[in-house]
Parts: sequence; structure tokens; C-alpha cells
Amino acid sequence: MKLKEYQKIVNKNIKQENKIFNALISFLIGGLIGLLGQVFVTILENKFYMPLSECYMYLMILLVTISSVLTGLGIFDEIVSFCKCGLIIPTTGFAHSMTSAAMDNNEEGLIKGIGSNIFKLTGSIILYGITIAFFLALLKGVIM
Amino acid sequence: MIYINAFLTCGIICGIGQIILDNTKLTPGHLNSILVVIGALLSFFGIYDVLLKIAGAGASVPITNFGHILFKGAYEGFKQDGITGLLNNILSSTSGGLSTAIILAFIVAIFSKPKN
Repeated sequence: MKLKEYQKIVNKNIKQENKIFNALISFLIGGLIGLLGQVFVTILENKFYMPLSECYMYLMILLVTISSVLTGLGIFDEIVSFCKCGLIIPTTGFAHSMTSAAMDNNEEGLIKGIGSNIFKLTGSIILYGITIAFFLALLKGVIM
Repeated sequence: MIYINAFLTCGIICGIGQIILDNTKLTPGHLNSILVVIGALLSFFGIYDVLLKIAGAGASVPITNFGHILFKGAYEGFKQDGITGLLNNILSSTSGGLSTAIILAFIVAIFSKPKN
């Protein structure tokens, strides 16, 4: 059997994921997180009289805590495989990938296992974030 | 009204991300890195502050906000104190979330066993 024919049969039998359904689920879950976050921020702002930037920081800490703990309990992977980008793009995805990278290698010890693998997946986000922020801030500061 | 805006903004960013992920070969790591760069660029042109005012937490929850606060801290530091201020303040506002993520990831990793 030629390779192209084989590829055709493989493509036919592969389970097709419904792209529109995925996008819709991501939209709904992502939107729900934004909405609940806004409720949380409004409560902090009006009942505890915090400045807005602190409210956003506590919102970030809340999301990070929830997703780290749920990842540790092993629940979060199943939720992510259903919700897809609805949980990957919010800050929950950042904490999830950091925790799971550390968890997967914890048998190899504190230094070689956890220490060298904790930034395996999130390292790129921190690296490019800091680099681009540095150069853009320098550029804007020099121009303005 | 701000609740609807928060829902729509965060939802649209996540929906577009899912469409990109389904139709290209990019991994979630690529996508998150690209979004952080986009957030810093939007902040550079002053758009992200407007977005935060309109959508509130809807703009603050996605990972683009990470790029925004990195840039904002760096730029405000540069205005105060030149290059010293830039280097000192670049991580100042992200520090809360980042430290929590690192500390919790470490604690969780110690007390849990991975599924095989």
C-alpha cells in the first residue's frame, strides 16, 4: 500500500474534533471567568475599599491558587481537556503549566527534578515578557 | 454594563486563541508567549489602559495582562529613575502573582505524586 493511500485511510478514521464547538466552549468558559473576576473585583473595591490595582493582584492570586491546588489534586487536567483555551489563556493556564511541570518530575529530587523543571513550560512566557517589556519601555522612555 | 464587557472581552480572547490553536501547528506555549508580546505592544500604544477601563477584570484575567503590567512597571520606573528605575520596577507589579505561582507550585509538587 502506498503512503498516500495509507494517509487517506488514517485521516478518514481519525476522530474529527468539532472546531466550532471548541471555540464556543472556550468563549463561554473564558467569558465566565472574566465575569466572575469582575464580580470579585467589585466586591473587593466596594466592601474593602482597596485600590483597583491591588484588586487585580488579588484576583490573579486567587486564580493562581485555585488552579495550582486543583492541579495537585489531579482534577484540573480533565477540566482543561474539556474547556481548552477557556482555561489555558487566563492566568489559570500559567499556574497550571508551572505546577504540572514541577509535579511531573518530582521523583528525581529537589534540585534535578523540581528545581530544573519548574520553569520548563512557563519559562518562555517570563523570558519573552520581560525582554519585550524592557526594550519597549526603553524605546518609549527615550522617545517621549 | 462592565460585567457584559468583561464577559465579551475575556471570551473573545479565549475564543480566538482556540481557533488559532485548532487551525495551526502552534502549541499552548507558543500561544501564551505570543499573547504576552501582544499585551506589551498594546500597552506600548496606550490601548490596554483603555481596555482595562472598559472591560475591567475581563482584560485583567487573560495572560496579555502579564505583558501589560510588565511594560507598565518598567515604563513608570524609567520615568522616575532612568535605567535604574526600569530594572528595579520591571517585575514590581507582577511580583504578587508570580511569587504565589512559584511558591504554590513548589509546595504542591512536594506533596503530590504524578499519575502514570
